[in-house]
Amino acid sequence: MKTMQAHEWMINYTRQTEWIDRRGIFLWIAFYTGGLGGGLYLVSLFFNSLWGMFLSWLIIAVIKGGAHFIYLGRPLRFWRMVTRPGSSWLSRGIIFVLSFVVLAGAQMAFTYWMPGTAGEIIFKVLAGIAALAVSVYTGFILNTVKGVPFWNSSLLPLLFVSYGVMSGFGLAIVIALSGGDVNLATSETWSRWLLIFNTLLVVIYLLAAANREATGKQSVMEQMRGHLAPVFWAGIVALGIVVPAVLAVFSYIVGEIATALLVTGVACEIIGGLSLRYCILKAGAYKPLVARTS
Amino acid sequence: MVVDLTVCSRCYACVAACRVEHFLPMGMSWPKLVALETNDDHPIVSTYSVRCNQCQDAPCVEVCPTGATRQRPDGIIVIDQDKCVGCRYCVVACPYQNRTFLSKDKDRGFFPGKIHTDFEKAGKELYPHQVGTTEKCNFCAERIDAGLAKGLKPGIDREATPACVNTCPARALTFGDLDDPDSEVSRLIRERKGFQLHPEYGTDPSIYFIDGKIGCSDKPADDIKAEKAGVAGK
Repeated sequence: MKTMQAHEWMINYTRQTEWIDRRGIFLWIAFYTGGLGGGLYLVSLFFNSLWGMFLSWLIIAVIKGGAHFIYLGRPLRFWRMVTRPGSSWLSRGIIFVLSFVVLAGAQMAFTYWMPGTAGEIIFKVLAGIAALAVSVYTGFILNTVKGVPFWNSSLLPLLFVSYGVMSGFGLAIVIALSGGDVNLATSETWSRWLLIFNTLLVVIYLLAAANREATGKQSVMEQMRGHLAPVFWAGIVALGIVVPAVLAVFSYIVGEIATALLVTGVACEIIGGLSLRYCILKAGAYKPLVARTS
Repeated sequence: MVVDLTVCSRCYACVAACRVEHFLPMGMSWPKLVALETNDDHPIVSTYSVRCNQCQDAPCVEVCPTGATRQRPDGIIVIDQDKCVGCRYCVVACPYQNRTFLSKDKDRGFFPGKIHTDFEKAGKELYPHQVGTTEKCNFCAERIDAGLAKGLKPGIDREATPACVNTCPARALTFGDLDDPDSEVSRLIRERKGFQLHPEYGTDPSIYFIDGKIGCSDKPADDIKAEKAGVAGK
């Protein structure tokens, strides 16, 4: 019978497209830079690096904020998004971002002009909390979406924060190499440990997702063998894990490696983080709306 | 609303009626029909008329960051286009995929690059759609409100009943008050074992289906057979 258009999205697994395809790319960038900027700020607090703080502020205020703004269908109504923090994680997230921009801005001013004062310490604590919230809220945005089993995991916020902090340590390495106020050896050490931790986290996340209904398994298979396989294997596994791991082992054995290799490792980590977010957004699939029971 | 799957004849009258009622842009349809073949040896093509389920515990209301999506006291979920910022969180959050973001490419006119038809011109005046916002079925809330103001009863009086229900020639759609145990919809659900789509989401949809074989869709995709070709040439 060829009498009717079948809406494939109702009878098969269907990817979500709004937050990754076409202009959705901006949301992908916004989600990633939230984790990266938040992570870098926390790392910068650890090192008390003003350069790192300023860079994280730029990443969140300019790149993340700009990407969010561009993505909106009605950007001039942007201010309305802060009105529903009681129920919407997106509303909460925007408040976190705005809070971070204000608090971190004030903290940097204190650190630059009035270092060591109580004001500096207070704003560091507040901005640190805001940075953590910025890096974690995108995980909650996704894991509360009931229709996409692949995202329904409490590991997701942890994964996003952990990847953000790892990338933050990566950027801290670059700051150290540029003569900034960061300890290179400490950054490298933390970066290595977080690489191991994140690799385990990704494996656990995928294993758990594969056992979360048939649709969750479908999302995992899409990454392993489907259209997303090149991004998954080349981006997340090869560039995001294997190359930084090889460089880390090499660095550990030799003691000191060339600057170019260190920067390459950091670049690979960032590509890995971007690929991870891309795959998570792209592989998110809905159950079929209608299916036969017999 | 109750959809009787046994009598729907796939005439698309509900889709057309909705387009006329709301002057929908070409790239958007609030109600949709889906065909499902349920048996390989003896194909049984069933038709499902789906639209926003007006969930009583609606994820779209919960996630909306602006309050543009809200639930009326009568349970209908409506969108205030003037408040919608176009973040599409509701589109992603709807497990039934019944929301549509109206992008520029979905509103290029019936004849792109040509002048607007009189129908489109009237629509711009009477029922303007805002590009950059999200839309969905609202159970013809305007008709219901106008009918109630005249003392009419939704589901009984045509002037207070959604356009798709009025138009359905097979009477596959029944509209009424789910809170009234004596209403026609309550009776149909009770007597013919009405069921909701994906009740496991806990959203409590206000649309029930009767006499079908859906509602248990956590099956491998290969296990689902449906018509591949159709009138739209896809």
